[in-house]
This record gives sequence, C-alpha cells and structure tokens, in this order.
Amino acid sequence: MLGQIEQMLTHYWFWELLVLAVLWWYSSVTIYVAVRGLLDIKQMFARLGQRQPQQQQTIN
Amino acid sequence: MQFNYLIDGSIVGLYLLGTMIAGIMVRRYVGRVEDYLLAGREMNLYLGIASLAATEFGIVTCMYTAQAGYTRGFAGAIPGICNAVAMFLIGLTGFCVKPLRDSGVITIPELFEKRYGSFVRWLSGVVIVLGGLLNMGVFLRVGGQFLVCCCGLDLQYLELIMTALLVAVAVYTVLGGMLSVLVTDYLQFVVMSGGLLAVTLFLLFQTGWTTLVNTVEKKIGPGGFNPFIHQELGWPFVVSNFITNAAAVLCWQTCIARLLSAKDTRTGRRIYTHTAFFFVCRWMIPGIWGIAALAAISPEVLQPLADQMGEKQSSLLAMPYYLGTILPAGLMGILVAAMLAAEMSTDSSYMLTWGSVIYNDILAPFRKTRWSEKKGILWNRCIVASIGLFLLFYGLWYRLGGNLWEYLQTTGTIYLSSMSILLIACCYWRRANNWGAVAAIIVGAVLPVAYLAINQQIQVEIEVAGKVEEVGLAKHYIGDYWINIGTYIAVAAAMVIGSLLKPQTSTKQDDRGT
Repeated sequence: MLGQIEQMLTHYWFWELLVLAVLWWYSSVTIYVAVRGLLDIKQMFARLGQRQPQQQQTIN
Repeated sequence: MQFNYLIDGSIVGLYLLGTMIAGIMVRRYVGRVEDYLLAGREMNLYLGIASLAATEFGIVTCMYTAQAGYTRGFAGAIPGICNAVAMFLIGLTGFCVKPLRDSGVITIPELFEKRYGSFVRWLSGVVIVLGGLLNMGVFLRVGGQFLVCCCGLDLQYLELIMTALLVAVAVYTVLGGMLSVLVTDYLQFVVMSGGLLAVTLFLLFQTGWTTLVNTVEKKIGPGGFNPFIHQELGWPFVVSNFITNAAAVLCWQTCIARLLSAKDTRTGRRIYTHTAFFFVCRWMIPGIWGIAALAAISPEVLQPLADQMGEKQSSLLAMPYYLGTILPAGLMGILVAAMLAAEMSTDSSYMLTWGSVIYNDILAPFRKTRWSEKKGILWNRCIVASIGLFLLFYGLWYRLGGNLWEYLQTTGTIYLSSMSILLIACCYWRRANNWGAVAAIIVGAVLPVAYLAINQQIQVEIEVAGKVEEVGLAKHYIGDYWINIGTYIAVAAAMVIGSLLKPQTSTKQDDRGT
C-alpha cells in the first residue's frame, strides 16, 4: 500500500487532481458555507437574546 | 505593481471598518463567562466550519506553506494532507473528541482534573500556555513582513503595521470574546476565501500549470512531487507531520474551542469532518503561490531583503515579494484584505482560546470562592489584553533562525505531545494516573525546549551549495522530524511507566488521580 501511495505521489495527475479539488472546494463549498453560516449567526444571536433576560435576573 | 493607496487602500479600509463594527456590536450578548469563552455553546455547523477555517489560516500559515512550496515543491503540501486525514478520521470516529465534548468542560485541563487531579490540571494549563505563546509569538512579525514585502512599504513601518493590526484585533476580541471572534471569523472567511481564489486563478492563468510542474521538476527534482524520495524529507517527515497534525486536531486550542463551542457533540464532530479538506487547501493554495515564485524569483534576489529584515532564510519572503511584483491594482487590494482577514481571525482566536486556559486552569487555584460572571469576564478581558501585549513585544524582538513550519512544529510539540497522550490515556486507559501524567508533561516540555535552546546556543558550520551556513547542533545531528517523533514516543513511555509505577489504590481514588 505504501508503494502505491508513493507511486501516486510521483505522478503529476495526483497533484493536478488535488489542485482542481482545492479550487472546486473554494469556489463552491465556500459559497454554501457563507450562506448557511449567516443563518447560523442569526439563530445563535436569537437564542442568546432569548437567554439574556433570564441571565440578567440571575445576576441581579 | 505595488500597493495603490486609492484603489487597494479603499478595499482594505472598507473591510477593516466592517469587521471592527461587526466585532464590537456583538459585545452586548456577553452575559456569562461561557458566552465570552465558548459563545454560550450555541455555535452551529456552518458557522463552525467558517470559523475554524478562518482561524487556521493566518498570514503566518500562508508564509510557511508558501515557503514549503518554494523549497519543496508539491511535496511541501504533505502536512496539509496529513492534517486533513487526521481531522476527518477523528471527527468520524469521535476518537477522544466525543468524550471531551460530552464532559461539558471549558478546556482540556479541566477534563484532566477529573482523572489526574488539580495539580495536573494546573500544570497542563502552564505547558499549554507556554507552548501556545511561543508558537503565536512569531505571527505578528511574519504577518508584518508579508505586508511590507508584498505592498513594497518601507521597512520602518513594519512595527507600526503590526501594532495597528494587533490593536484593532484586540479591541473587538477583548470586548466581545468568542462571539466577536465567530462573527468576525465569518466575515474574514468570506473575504479570505474570495481573495485566495482570485489570486490563485490569476497566478495559474499567468504562470500556467505546465510551467509550475516543469519548475518543480527542474529546480527540485522528483522529490518535489514525492516526499519519500526527497533528500531532506523522507518518511520521518511524513510520520512526524502525521503525528503532529493528529495531536493538533485533538489538542490545539483553536480546534478544541470550536468543538467545545458547538451546540452539541454531533455538531462538533461534523465540524471536524466537514472542515477536514480545508486543511489540504490551506497548504495547496499558498504552496502553488510559492511554486509560482520559484519559477520567477531566485534566492539571490531575495537575500538582501532577508538581510534587511534580519531573517536567515530568504525563502520565507519569496512569495510576498513575487506577488508584490505581479498582482495588478485592485487584485492587490483584495489580496491584502484577504490576508488581513486571515491574520485578524487567527490572532483573535489565538488570544482568546489560550487566554481561556489561563483563566480556567492556571488561575483555578486562586478562585477559592466562585467568582461572579462580571468579575470572570473582566479577568478574561484583562488576560486577552495581556496576551496581546506579549505578542507585540515578543514579535518585535524574536528573529526566526530556521524554517518557520519546523519552529511552529517544535514549539507546538512542547504541549501537543504530552496533552495528546494525556487525553488519549484519560479517555481510554483506566490505569492512567497523575504520576504518569506529570512524567509525560515534564518529558514533553523538556525535550523540545532543550532542542530549541541547544540550537540557539550551539551552532555548527556546514557547507550548502558552496556557501558556509550556521546550523543548530541538535538540528544538524538529530533533525526536527526525529526530535518530534522521539518526543511523542518518550512522552507515551513516560505516561505508561509513570502510571504503572504508582501503587494501585481503590478505583474511586484512582479515577480522581489521588
């Protein structure tokens, strides 16, 4: 198995495919994560906002 | 082409303003210490991915990965592949990270207290902070060097740029803690990704894939594609990197903070599996920039610049120097904004997550009575500000002697080796106890520190390509990779021997490490 990995690394197609995969990741996954991440931020602050009055009561 | 103050400056200024406003605005949501350190454990999957990806890519990352591309070709990206494999497997299996997140702790040493006792918790905190601070100490200087080289600014502005950057980051991190870090990380992830992609596509079209491959083939040889046959790398390089990266996935404060901030264990594990491939990108993209620099710039051109900056290895400056000569106005602004985004997300997260260990574990013995949330947040803010001051002063006077990645690896090993072994033993070995833990921590800290000290103090002269160079004694005779592998083996042995030497007591006592 180690020999196969070694052979794979020697051939340039491995690096070419890897570069293509990297470019694909950055151009597609980034956009998806950016959109869904924004929703996550909204939800996170909504939940924290709900908790705040309770926390204020506890501290006081 | 250099930095255009009107076009590029506007892009950078707009980005900085947006980040600062967003970072400061969220401070009103900080009501408890848990909100400040772990965003109230309300972080969901995609925000976690964006935050982890942004944090783990700073200017310093870009510099050492590009340096790896410049000096080792494609083989230089092997650490990224090792990191991705380790992170994916750990996220998939939940190895250590599941019991860690399930325990509901704020930091790893807090978990250790349950098995090894309070002294081990405190000692773990000390080595985590020691290793982390030494590691992040070089970030600012390297970041400043990038900006100076790339934008063609006068060298005298390096310190000023570093200070201004740090102050901006410190302001929103001190005020908003993890909440500010997550929101600014998100913005920084978007800006950074766009910038990295734009510059990479520009370079690929400008230089051409064939030129990149031919350059590596001609200037580095087959070892530039295959680390196993590379003269300076070989299998110790691959093994050393796999071990270090696996340990980093388990114990690196910035990774662990995301796992512990996640809203539940499943989300934490998914953040790991979904972000894993990013670590390949993290090495490949700047690696390509480094190879493109290799095609165009010879080391002789860079040497005067390196001498001016007091750096021994000119290869570190190849990529920013090259980008400074090739990028057009507009794209340069996008690059600088992306790099500032990368640097700011990294600095803020490092300051906060290492600060959390100081507060939660090193100061734990001083909190005899329970502190109010208000007092806890105030202390955390002071700690983060103090780390900022340390970064500023350490960054100003420390000069890097060798390869940047190897320095980061060695300083990281100070705690990664012992903490990863302690964590594995804590989760899966019932005989593990405080004797073994203390022995492992001491061995894990002493070996890398001794290695660094010997290299700094005793140097030997060697001839490289007709030139006489000074190399650290231990580095010359043992080498970074063997020290790294040896440290992990020695730490594991110390844990086993120490634990077995302690007379067995009742199970209940043993579990508390007493």
